[in-house]
Amino acid sequence: MALSRREFVKLVTSSGIVLSLARLAPAAPPGFTARETLPGRQAWNPAAAGAGRIDGVAKVTGAKLYASDYRASDLPGWPAKTSHAMLVRAADATHVYAGLDLARLRGALEPTVVVTAADVARIGARVPPFYRDDLFCAAGKTPLYLGQPVALLIFEEFDAFDRARLVLRDGTPVRFGRETGPVPMPPYGANRFVRVAGPTPGAPDVYSPLQAGWARPIRFQHGQVPVWAPARRTGDVNASASYHGERIRAELAANDPGMLVLDREFATQSVDPMFLEPECGLGWYDTRNGTLALVLGVQSPYEAATSVASLLGRARAGFKPRRIEGHFAYVGGGFGGRDHTPMPLYVALAALFLADRPVRLGHDRYEQFQAGIKRHAFTMRSRIGVDRASGKIRAFAADHVLDGGGQANYSASVADVGATGAIGIYEIPKVDVTTVAVHSRGVTAGSMRGYGTLQTMTALETLIDETAEALRLDPIEFRRRNALPTDGRTMAGNTYWGPVRTPEILDKLDKHAIWRERAAEKARRQQRAGILVGTGVACVTKDFGSGADCTLATVGVEPDGRIWIHNDAVEMGTGIGTALANRVAGVLGGVADEVAIAQVDAFGPLALVKTGDPYAMAQATQDRAARNPRWVPEISSPSSGSIGAHVSTHGAAEAARVVFRFGLWPAALDLWKIAPGDPRARRWETARWRDRTLVMPELPPLPLEQVAARAHARKGITGAMVHGFSRWAWSRATFDLAGQPWTADIDALAVRRGGGDFARRDRTSVTFPPTVYTRFGTSYSSVCGTVVRVEVERTAGVVRVVSAYSVVECGSALVPQIVIGQMQGGFAMGVGYALLESLPLYEDGPGNGRWNLGPYVVARAADLPLSAFECEVLPPLAPGDPPKGVAEVVMIPIVPAILNAIFDATGRRIQSLPVTPAMLKGV
Amino acid sequence: MTTLNLTINGRPHGPVDVRDELTMNDFLREYLGLTGTKFGCGAAQCLSCAVIVDEADGTSHTSPTCVVPAVAFNSKSVRTVEGLAKNGELSALQKAFIDHFAFQCGYCTAGFLNESQVLLERLAKAPVARADLDTTIVDALNGHLCRCTGYYKYREAVRDVILADATRYLV
Amino acid sequence: MPNRRPRTVRFDAPLVWPTLAALLLAATLTTPAEAADAARTLAPPESFQAIGDAAARSAAVFTEVSKVLTHPRCVNCHPAGDRPLQHESGRLHQPPVERGADGFGLAAMRCSICHQKANFDPGRMPGHPHWHLAPRPMGWQGKTPGEICAQVKDPARNGGRSLQQIHEHIATDSLVGWAWAPGFGREAAPGTQKETGALVAAWIKDGAVCPGP
Repeated sequence: MALSRREFVKLVTSSGIVLSLARLAPAAPPGFTARETLPGRQAWNPAAAGAGRIDGVAKVTGAKLYASDYRASDLPGWPAKTSHAMLVRAADATHVYAGLDLARLRGALEPTVVVTAADVARIGARVPPFYRDDLFCAAGKTPLYLGQPVALLIFEEFDAFDRARLVLRDGTPVRFGRETGPVPMPPYGANRFVRVAGPTPGAPDVYSPLQAGWARPIRFQHGQVPVWAPARRTGDVNASASYHGERIRAELAANDPGMLVLDREFATQSVDPMFLEPECGLGWYDTRNGTLALVLGVQSPYEAATSVASLLGRARAGFKPRRIEGHFAYVGGGFGGRDHTPMPLYVALAALFLADRPVRLGHDRYEQFQAGIKRHAFTMRSRIGVDRASGKIRAFAADHVLDGGGQANYSASVADVGATGAIGIYEIPKVDVTTVAVHSRGVTAGSMRGYGTLQTMTALETLIDETAEALRLDPIEFRRRNALPTDGRTMAGNTYWGPVRTPEILDKLDKHAIWRERAAEKARRQQRAGILVGTGVACVTKDFGSGADCTLATVGVEPDGRIWIHNDAVEMGTGIGTALANRVAGVLGGVADEVAIAQVDAFGPLALVKTGDPYAMAQATQDRAARNPRWVPEISSPSSGSIGAHVSTHGAAEAARVVFRFGLWPAALDLWKIAPGDPRARRWETARWRDRTLVMPELPPLPLEQVAARAHARKGITGAMVHGFSRWAWSRATFDLAGQPWTADIDALAVRRGGGDFARRDRTSVTFPPTVYTRFGTSYSSVCGTVVRVEVERTAGVVRVVSAYSVVECGSALVPQIVIGQMQGGFAMGVGYALLESLPLYEDGPGNGRWNLGPYVVARAADLPLSAFECEVLPPLAPGDPPKGVAEVVMIPIVPAILNAIFDATGRRIQSLPVTPAMLKGV
Repeated sequence: MTTLNLTINGRPHGPVDVRDELTMNDFLREYLGLTGTKFGCGAAQCLSCAVIVDEADGTSHTSPTCVVPAVAFNSKSVRTVEGLAKNGELSALQKAFIDHFAFQCGYCTAGFLNESQVLLERLAKAPVARADLDTTIVDALNGHLCRCTGYYKYREAVRDVILADATRYLV
Repeated sequence: MPNRRPRTVRFDAPLVWPTLAALLLAATLTTPAEAADAARTLAPPESFQAIGDAAARSAAVFTEVSKVLTHPRCVNCHPAGDRPLQHESGRLHQPPVERGADGFGLAAMRCSICHQKANFDPGRMPGHPHWHLAPRPMGWQGKTPGEICAQVKDPARNGGRSLQQIHEHIATDSLVGWAWAPGFGREAAPGTQKETGALVAAWIKDGAVCPGP
């Protein structure tokens, strides 16, 4: 598969704009760039022997990989010069924006183009709902949020841009008028989750979100406070949820002496993902052919391109491109903060308004703090009721409020996921959780690693610790007693997919030296005057998947045995390319020589079509649409939410299975001279690969190269292109291949025979996951636990993490070193979140444009126990177990474990984050 | 405006007239297209922008480029990440970073490579005790921020390079 | 803002009462905006004439001067230890640097690697031809105005300077003067160097008395 060849899909949007989305084209001839960016082609592929990542060489040699590395002159066919743009933002959201005074930008500093709200309206651009309301604040209106752009300035020359940004950074050119106060907006979302279990574990639920649906408030009081429907057991879902929820709360309030009830509040702070590469993009609108080319570094390539298409779909002539060509680069960190941001929209506008000249728009770090997506600050009130005699949790009620900042973004979804994650690893027969995400004038909060569950499970695991202490139960024993078993029901009422391994994780924590020796260590170390020592534990579960996850993959084998993979996932440090290569290697015997990621376009032959919203679709609608063999509920989803291992590699694994079954296996049979009727011909699942050699009992081993050559010669299937969709379960379809039905967890397939082209095989039948599964909160999940030892310096109140142990289960780890890396990075981010990072929400916060590292503190090497953090990954239960996602779960337990350790050391229960020295000074 | 002449990775650059307000980071990335040196914060807090400066007296040190004007590097000799490999052969540190899966997104890697390289060269001239190795490494790298890895594998990689050549770097 | 609240004035000194009364009166009459202004400006020496007793007046003037000395622009380079502080909240300087033998940094990281001969505004980077840390004995991070006063007067700790030389240093030294022209993104010390010099002169004239404790 030639490096520079891209297959363009005719993804025609409803507006008629053609989308073509490709991995970034290399800047130089294949020889050079193959070495730098496609590791398989060079002399040394570190991944081939299982050492190193496939992008390793590129990253240590400073090769151009990130969107911020590219200028127009790096891209073939582009004009050589890059112009530069900047967004001017309002650092005020309580006064009327009166206009921009650019008097100080005269002469050489004058921008070539100034784009304002009026211009965006004039050209007929329409903001996609996710990014409501206004891309620019219009003069005469109060900005919707701190940092809202008021104008886009474009400079033909870098020097003019560089000088102008110095003039503009004090904010004085942005004029304000009278004070209006903040602009009120309705909340972004609110839901209530109520479940009442049946009388025995196996009995059907009395009531659950799965049965009844998700309840909504009937209105909002003061614009923000949800008002729930009056209780009626036989009413609609809103009324019945109120009925059951109120009964649960009444039970908790009843002062039953047999039940211990704790009622606690917990507040978390706003933080920044602080990925090291600020957001940026490059755009070029070529009026000769109406092509808008964009270079972007985002976690959601498909969404970025379709949002731009949506923005411009009804734009007037000269501003509606015929084609949008997206080129997607590696990203310098994501953590959720590069998933669904408005940056691509502004890059597109910059390109359109400076037609025929490539333009770069980017943030410096002050701007990234000002505009970049934040983690939601939560305020939570939780009540837990535990039977004193048995130590079993009887009931749990909580109310969550999230500050979503200025734009909706993912707030409603973060609220829901935070809510359904609020009972963590526990089995609780009566649960009532309400949540509301409100608008504010703060910086927009959206997806960030943990997605609401970091906040709610921190509150939970500290509450659990306090409860265990009140009952005088060992903290791990208390957790064991209440852990949800396999086939137990979640808050939504469904069971988890797969076994629940909480007991093993708890056992590992219990047995670890840090936990076992906690009393002895406390006694020993506290002999150092002025130091308090404490140990804390926490155990959590985090779902992966979004309820509408897609995987697009093509896997092929060449006659010389080279394997190549194309996939739509984005590399943000998670090692997805390496994971893909390893997963496919298990099926096809060799590590891929070429892994091209962020490919959303190279699946043209599948000719996929989608309609409707996969989250909101009615079952009848889905059934009707599914009759079209090319229809799928969603085409491509963002790289996020820990989905890399389980979701993103799934398609590649399925494609590889097709190639093996219908290409390599028949070729091997040929070479072994085994007739089709021979019983051994059906035993493809017994075959194993060892050192690129196919091994079957009592048959000579066959090298991959030989099998591949034969597969090509006999025109077997040498390449497969698949699409898969998961709504908490994979879609499953049957295809006619080589005269026999092939059923697999995919919903679209195209195959290549020998060296031919890919041709679609229509599915003969398909089952998409039922639409009611949208009611699941979580279905796929991984469990992770952490035990932590801290020292608290009494006079100053400084907390130091001195040792820690984390253990996780993730099915089969595709690249164990990368899983460990996630655990270590998650640990560092957890320490930062617990002890160091904090942003004010409003005028004193980053929306004012004055924040950077320095005042914002993230963990450095010296803040971490570099020699004393141990990570363990449990082996899979069975060798072939599919991989599960872990990138978020490995961050979460660290935070409550630290809080619990601080309590153990000082006797203080801290109910807010971060824990600062001021809180513990003089303890 | 100042006329700039300097050496980067052994190659002379200039004479080129640059504004006195131009940062070294912009000079490398915008003027020369050498984007291996990154921009992370613009406030010398993360050091993903750090390059190596080789002084005339034979010492070397790292320097941020985001807060320092290009003209401050006039007549200097600078090494960037693009110049660490020699004749297509990766340095011991580059290989170790790959072997150890030391980086994830890779954006901070150039800074860590440069700092570690300077550390090795410094230890070769003034070795330290084995017992002080861990603190020496952390002290050297502590100015560099990484958001993905937690620093663990960076430390292990540097440690292993030093231990593999212990007689050179340690007493 | 000063790093520490001044300790309670001892009430057994009768001459303190009028000062205290004046201060209390002033405090009850200030609005938040006025308080913020008071933090950024310096009261001129004339405004202390109301205090009749020269010693009390001198001490009060030094307390005013200490608004400058305890401001981050000064404390950051007069730290308690061997590492400078940075920005506005007293955090340790990043990248991690140390004073070294001469106060101009360690061999591996001299101050002048980043700090040029003048402020580099595009990088929000302070600069001065002699950018360096004050010697260890002149570190006063965390000290009260009274303690700083005693330190400033003590020849064993102030580099052997006479009172006249202290005045010259504060009133005319250009590195000291940087505190009032720190460049974009940094809050200047209160008042001006000239005003501070005038206050120091007034403090000395009335006996260079230290506020207690």
